[in-house]
Amino acid sequence: MRPAQEHRLNLGQDALKPSREDRALRVNKFTIGGIGLGMLGLLTAAACGSTSTPSTSSGTLASSQVLHFPVFQDPGTWDPGEMDAEVDTELMQNVFDNLWRFDDKLNIVPDIATAVPTQANGGISADGLTYTIHLNPAAKFSNQDAVTSKDVLYSWNRGADLHGAYSSILSAINGYSAVQKAAGSPPTSGTPTTFQGNIEKQLAANNPAFMMSGLTAPDAETVQVKLSTACGWCLTAWTLEGTVGAIVDEKAINAPGVDPVTWWQTPANLVGTGAYKLSAYVPKQSLQFTAVPNWWGTPKPTVKTINIDIKDPSTVPTTVDAFFQKGYDIIGYGGDSGQIPLANILAVKANSNEKADLLTQPKGRTTWVSFSIGYPTGGPFQGESAAAKGLRLAFDLAVDKNGLATTVCHDLTCTAATGGLITSGLIGNGGPNSDPLAKFDKAKAKSLLAQYDPTGSLTKNLTYSYNAGSPNDQVATYLQNEWQTNLGVHVNLNAVSDASIFISNRLSGKYQMDRDGWQFDYNHPQDWYDNLWGVYASSAGANTSGFDDPTYDTILKQADTEPLSTSLAQYNQLATILQNDVVYIPLYYSVGNFLIQPYVSGAGSNTAFDHYWNEIKILAH
Amino acid sequence: MLTRGTLIYIAQRLALIAFTLVAVSFLVFITVHSLPGSAFESERVHGKALQLLLHEYGLDRPVLVQYWSFLTNAIRGNLGVSFQIRGLPITPLVMRELSVSAELGGTALLITIGLGTTFGVLAALRQNTWVDYTLTSIAVVGYSVPSFVLAGLGVLIFSYWLPTVTNGVISYPAIWTGSYGTLVELSLPAIILGFYTSGQVTRITRAAMLEVLQQDYIRTARAKGLKSRVVTVRHALRNALIPVISILGPLVISIITGSVIIETIFGIPGLGKEFVESITAADYNITVAVFTVYALLIGIANLIVDLLYTVVDPRIRY
Repeated sequence: MRPAQEHRLNLGQDALKPSREDRALRVNKFTIGGIGLGMLGLLTAAACGSTSTPSTSSGTLASSQVLHFPVFQDPGTWDPGEMDAEVDTELMQNVFDNLWRFDDKLNIVPDIATAVPTQANGGISADGLTYTIHLNPAAKFSNQDAVTSKDVLYSWNRGADLHGAYSSILSAINGYSAVQKAAGSPPTSGTPTTFQGNIEKQLAANNPAFMMSGLTAPDAETVQVKLSTACGWCLTAWTLEGTVGAIVDEKAINAPGVDPVTWWQTPANLVGTGAYKLSAYVPKQSLQFTAVPNWWGTPKPTVKTINIDIKDPSTVPTTVDAFFQKGYDIIGYGGDSGQIPLANILAVKANSNEKADLLTQPKGRTTWVSFSIGYPTGGPFQGESAAAKGLRLAFDLAVDKNGLATTVCHDLTCTAATGGLITSGLIGNGGPNSDPLAKFDKAKAKSLLAQYDPTGSLTKNLTYSYNAGSPNDQVATYLQNEWQTNLGVHVNLNAVSDASIFISNRLSGKYQMDRDGWQFDYNHPQDWYDNLWGVYASSAGANTSGFDDPTYDTILKQADTEPLSTSLAQYNQLATILQNDVVYIPLYYSVGNFLIQPYVSGAGSNTAFDHYWNEIKILAH
Repeated sequence: MLTRGTLIYIAQRLALIAFTLVAVSFLVFITVHSLPGSAFESERVHGKALQLLLHEYGLDRPVLVQYWSFLTNAIRGNLGVSFQIRGLPITPLVMRELSVSAELGGTALLITIGLGTTFGVLAALRQNTWVDYTLTSIAVVGYSVPSFVLAGLGVLIFSYWLPTVTNGVISYPAIWTGSYGTLVELSLPAIILGFYTSGQVTRITRAAMLEVLQQDYIRTARAKGLKSRVVTVRHALRNALIPVISILGPLVISIITGSVIIETIFGIPGLGKEFVESITAADYNITVAVFTVYALLIGIANLIVDLLYTVVDPRIRY
């Protein structure tokens, strides 16, 4: 900004005024008009640049089979050994295959393997410790290399070595711990990339210390997996797409000149067995996938090209505008079904022309409040005393969960979590209103508070922590209001702007009570009970509440070894233990929202993931 | 023709720019690495997995060792790798984004100078008339209303309101295509970014023109019978542009900083958007790289402006 003094000085000076007949001025008048018209023209041209025309769907295919949609996050890594972000696994499930895959109803069906192993078909030994897997001889990588049992061994060993977020999926295989120990102590000298580089080097040298002893290849088309203990959940976990169970091509990763860390960034190196392959990648901008010619699997892909724009989450509202300008075919794919703001969803639902494009799909994520039970930060909520449990229950019963879903989510982006910790629609969910912690009983809540904190001294200066953003801010305000209104207790809110700091603090038990949640990986109760409060969670520093109960651990250990038909009752026992102990306050189950153009057939989603791209067809419109 | 004195001056300034780059990068590097938070840590990545990732990227080394590694690599043109997109080389990313920002900033600068000087000259020639009042009012709006407000309004009007009232017949494309967008997509952000800074140019030009138009040599030129247009353009405007050139440096800086907001709002994949995203994602190598590139740009822009003085005003010598 220039100083005002100078402005006044100049205005006060006498200036030479050109006459009315001055040609220069006339020229300049035209200049003004010209500039004005030019800008107007430019903006008008801009405004007319995209014309929205109503479309009609028919059963015939469009001549152009190109699908275009945005994602609101950059890829972190597409290395199946390290992938952990939903955006990455959602995309890569179309590039990489596992031995089995989930169909759209989350059933396990054969993929690279010829069958789903069972004891009946001889795929699983009588003691449940040995799995024999036969590979489909037709399976090929996108570079036309045949898939062999050696590729499976390389992929899985590499997955265990890399210590990625999902390496524990392989933890029941013989030799897993030894391999993790060997690979987890990278050389201390050398360049910073020695960790992954070292793993590739050791695997190429067939160093047994880096290879799980339980993984063998009797022949080129057979893999044998020996477990250290029977495992009722392993098959489901190994099926999880885009993670360590996915099969990669050793030759592509270890080709001369290929960096073992960044190999996946180059389309030529990102070789999988899926229906699509990466054909172009402009970091932070766009991705292009094309259908693999003569792909070995079914159904054969109809859509030939997938164009994906990488957008910042702040542009979601304008991206929704772009969808209705026919700039995008889908919004919500790539793990972004929670990105469309509630205001946009409400606007779309209110518009008769647009509401048919909205697809609402419950997603497998539950959000709850965690109490710090096993950490000193828990204050009055810490421990197993009657007072601590009573106060936890008081704070739970004081929250109207249905009210929260209505107030915060307008019953559109979430539903009240009344069926237990595991989201509705998944194995282990108890059904509507089965969770006693989902009740709203302010009279009982008040009475419990009076019983265990008659003076109010214990519940003074309580703090609820959460990572800032929508809908967490609205949920926090709602909770604060509920506790104030129904218990008369003021709870401070601690909004943490940096999610990684929040997660770090939560995992180390630094919060008294906090926002907590879990998005399921595979449809098995083990995914919840092990990863949240089991021995694995505790040893990995992921037990957010510090809850520790030997009975829980014993039942969990037993349940994990049994098939689901017998283990489900045991997992339900764990749910009861958590409920009796008031470890959490259930809040809501997430609901995803997609915008899909009417001419995009076959697009959709289930509780876990987007429908595969090879199921989609672009109809004439 | 560059004189020996000018060459020495350029060499001195380049040395100063180099020193500034080291200082800026050091300060930013130390600061961002002192901040809590991590690009890697998530609900899934913690404990041993996190520890190994930190090792992989050399983040478990002392911060001064890390800075020395950054500096020695940066001198060779290697700005390091991204944490968020694991292992992605930053230099080509930043270069591409710089070219996108240059497209937007260059267009905005043309609009700034074109609009600002035209409005300034016209306002001076028609001082205290409705033309003057209108143009100076527009200038005041230009530099008073923050660009993010104008950008928000622009998006609201052209991407939301117009398509709604015209039932989609008229609509500004809400998304940016590819790296460089289309001319249509470029128009709105460039006009908004340029409009913000053009207000300053309008005021400076108007003031300079008013001063120049009173000079004796202008009166002499008119007395010689030269056409008013020739007097205005050839004699008055050239001298009036000197103060405008003097603010080119700050203008470029203003456009660079303004582009951070405009690129974020319009989703333009330039350096400004990268700057914001890298901070929110704790992708500190990119933050340091972008800061360093900004410092380099500003240093070079100021040097060019200082050298331009000698072109427009022969009295200035280095």
